[in-house]
Amino acid sequence: MRGFDYVGKRILFALLTVFVAITLNFVLFRTLSGDAVSALRCRQCTQAFKDYQREQLGLDKSKWEQYKLYLGDLAHGDMGKSLRSEGAVTHELWAPIKNTVPMVALGTLFSIVFGVLAGVVSAWRRGTWADKTTLWTGLSFYSMPPQWLGLIVVLFVASALGLPTAGIKDPTLGILGDASTWDVFVDRMRHMVLPSLTLGLVLYGEYAIIVRSSMLETLGEDYVLTARAKGLSNWATVWKHGLRNALLPIITLVALSLGFIIGGSITIEYVFSYPGIGLAIVEAIDQRDYPILQGAFLLLTFSVILANLVADLLYFKLDPRVST
Amino acid sequence: MSTAVQGAAAAEGVDVAKSGRPGSIRRVVFGEPQALIGLAIVAAFILVALLSPLFLSQDPKTKVGPIFEHPSVSHPLGLDGGGADMVRLLIAGTRVSLLVGFAAAFVSALIGGTVGLASGYFGGKTDIVLMRITDYVIVIPDIPLMIVAAALFGRSLTNIILIIGVIYWTSTARLIRAQVKSVRERVYVKRARALGAGNTRLIFKHVLPQVMPLLIANTVLLVALAIFAETFISFLGLGDPSVISWGRLIENSFTDDAILNNAWWTIVPPGVCVTLLVLGSTMFGQSLEDALNPRLRVGHLSVRRFRMRPLKGKLESE
Amino acid sequence: MSALLEVEGLNVWFDLAGGGELHAVRGVDVQVDAGERFGLVGESGCGKTTAMLTIMGLLPPNASVAGEVRLAGENILARGEESVSPHRWNDVAMVFQGAMNAFNPVKTVGSQIEEPLRLHGIAEGRAARRQVAELLERVGIPSDRAARYPHEFSGGMRQRAAIAMAIACGPKILLADEPTTALDVMVQAQILELLLSLAEDFELALVLVTHDLPVVAQVCDRAAVMYAGEVAEAGSIDALFHTPRHPYTRMLFAATPDLHAGGERVVSIPGAPPRLDRPLVGCPFHPRCDSRFEPCPTVTPLLKVVGEGHVAACHLNDHVREGALV
Repeated sequence: MRGFDYVGKRILFALLTVFVAITLNFVLFRTLSGDAVSALRCRQCTQAFKDYQREQLGLDKSKWEQYKLYLGDLAHGDMGKSLRSEGAVTHELWAPIKNTVPMVALGTLFSIVFGVLAGVVSAWRRGTWADKTTLWTGLSFYSMPPQWLGLIVVLFVASALGLPTAGIKDPTLGILGDASTWDVFVDRMRHMVLPSLTLGLVLYGEYAIIVRSSMLETLGEDYVLTARAKGLSNWATVWKHGLRNALLPIITLVALSLGFIIGGSITIEYVFSYPGIGLAIVEAIDQRDYPILQGAFLLLTFSVILANLVADLLYFKLDPRVST
Repeated sequence: MSTAVQGAAAAEGVDVAKSGRPGSIRRVVFGEPQALIGLAIVAAFILVALLSPLFLSQDPKTKVGPIFEHPSVSHPLGLDGGGADMVRLLIAGTRVSLLVGFAAAFVSALIGGTVGLASGYFGGKTDIVLMRITDYVIVIPDIPLMIVAAALFGRSLTNIILIIGVIYWTSTARLIRAQVKSVRERVYVKRARALGAGNTRLIFKHVLPQVMPLLIANTVLLVALAIFAETFISFLGLGDPSVISWGRLIENSFTDDAILNNAWWTIVPPGVCVTLLVLGSTMFGQSLEDALNPRLRVGHLSVRRFRMRPLKGKLESE
Repeated sequence: MSALLEVEGLNVWFDLAGGGELHAVRGVDVQVDAGERFGLVGESGCGKTTAMLTIMGLLPPNASVAGEVRLAGENILARGEESVSPHRWNDVAMVFQGAMNAFNPVKTVGSQIEEPLRLHGIAEGRAARRQVAELLERVGIPSDRAARYPHEFSGGMRQRAAIAMAIACGPKILLADEPTTALDVMVQAQILELLLSLAEDFELALVLVTHDLPVVAQVCDRAAVMYAGEVAEAGSIDALFHTPRHPYTRMLFAATPDLHAGGERVVSIPGAPPRLDRPLVGCPFHPRCDSRFEPCPTVTPLLKVVGEGHVAACHLNDHVREGALV
């Protein structure tokens, strides 16, 4: 089967990258940054206590030993324990992940939908006002630091729309009697809208511009001219020949911009006090909770690698030119 | 932020293929409005940074009035959460942001340029190995890595510059590699080689000058990226606490609860500065890159159609 | 008797980014009869491709057009896009330069040949697929290749497929823009043979646009030589080769050592064609002409009858009195 080779190669690459990421993680946290224990903020820690902790965390062994231990633990899904709460890292990160994923998904959805629309219209009406507006607004939004945009949204938009700007749930919900699932759902959504919107705005720019560019390139292709020559209307040509080809790069684009999405969402969550993985990272940094930081970073990296793999395979499926 | 976006965005306006010669660059810069605007913006900021000592006779952080005072004639952008003059803070921030931007871009360009050069010139195993490494680095998400590295390695400006520089070299490497490969094929390089010129000589005298313009154009784009990246780091409190940067100003406004006080003048201006500078360098850098790496684009489709003109008798014999 | 295709006074301008216009086609008159094989010859940039695209109304939005293109007497450019689009593919079809890229890479070749059949209401579903298979066989491609993608075809086969696609709706005129450029010599000969045999079987008028003279000589009965957006000379191949009445024609044809060698390229004439973004004074060819004389730089030569079915625009023919010949 044609596919096997290619698919196999991509999966292998993904696995190797995962391995590189794990090693990088280890190197960053254990080797270069000095001893996690010595950074522990506890005034009453005696030397004996610190030594004991070291032994517990396996920090008294050689680096190589530690590395093997680390890999072993990971294989079992054990990412260590939070220094602050003593809970397993995987457990501590679970709730934040559950919060972040829908928010990021929603934001990305906004940006893809609006970005594609804007990009297509822009390319279609190249040189007109609609085109220039899309370009400039897209580029401008993309040049804005997401956290700043978040602050602007909070400052000017939130109150106008009557939407909450912090946290993920209304603390008063459920006090005067049980809240129904619907109420909880609405409440969650209301808290999710602004951060998602901010994320969506930042990304919309990128997607609109890329779609436009891809569309323009596609529209300049010979086969588009041929389609028109065959008698297809402008609209039919775009729909049947232009769109599919032009949108192919979107897939890779989303995967590639995942790094940025994640990064942006970290700061956005901070601004909106949205209890997702981004906020968890910020808090972990603040409290020097290295295992959490390490675990979160690893998880984020994994998801980006996974997304890239999915994008590769999707692209492969959709574009018959891609071969071994 | 991806350079692909920067590329696509400012590429508009370059309708006809232009050769990569210096004359054409001048034509692009002074011909295309957006390149000119971009250059003007960047130049304006650089000017402010250079002239900043004139404005900052005293430490910009000194308290000159009540906190969160509204903008007034004496303080056009009001005072921040510590009572310091916003205008002075912004000017001080210009210096730092530009410094970080250029320095980090330089580091990135250095690494990326070297990798691209080596990869494109030597080809073979070197190429494969370097490109593999690049592939891996690309997949690892940049901002989380940056944040983690900043959290771990501390707060000095130098470190921040290095961190940013080390993370963003990959697209430069690829770009330069492609360029070097095409330059390498050119006749005179082969001739020089036939005359016995060694690799070093070839690289520095023949290949590098051809590749330099593109590298510089790309570096301008990197500046935008670096400034953007710095705001991330500063916002999370990981920046150098002893310097004022725009990113830090945004962070300050957040931690000082500017929103509660409705003090938009502490929030809006620093972000506007970042946006403007990033926009400006993107516009300028991309126009430059397009002039050196032109692409011809003809649109076959548009809502508008070709026009019919009335035939005026026997058409005037030209 | 009126020709199948009559182009009269065709002018095409392109708006330039930054103001100004490029006058790419400057008053072209051409007639092609039914079933005739006509060649349009000239250097690249002389406007031949633009003229052809205009016949089908396939111009970008920055183009403006004046003149008439009459198909069986009806001016199809009367109302611009509106009046020309109904004739696309079922009356006039085209095989593009670099037909390699005429196919959308993400769709099968068969589906793309089927497309105009469906669009023009000729056939649907299984009937359409059968016709596609027949068309492919007719051009020498095994019909099971219909389900393949363009990148799986060789250059020559893609060209054949493009030709199959072009004749799918039974046009009366086939415009072929450089159909053999970028193909190797053996394949070129096959493609030309294919075009000829199709023209015969389907009673197609063939308009061959090329800068490759041996091709024109092999395939065409009549030809027009274009230079700087104008027709310099037009007539039978025989007349153009043996008794050219324009120095450009003479230099072009003379530069080809052996017509039967096939695949040889035109040796370029020193100098370059004039810029078309400014008005031209006098004869556009005069700077490169070896026979220029007193009137050439200042007076524009008009297209004049110099023999039976033979016209030329050159002051060397000024002494010829048209009335005496026609």
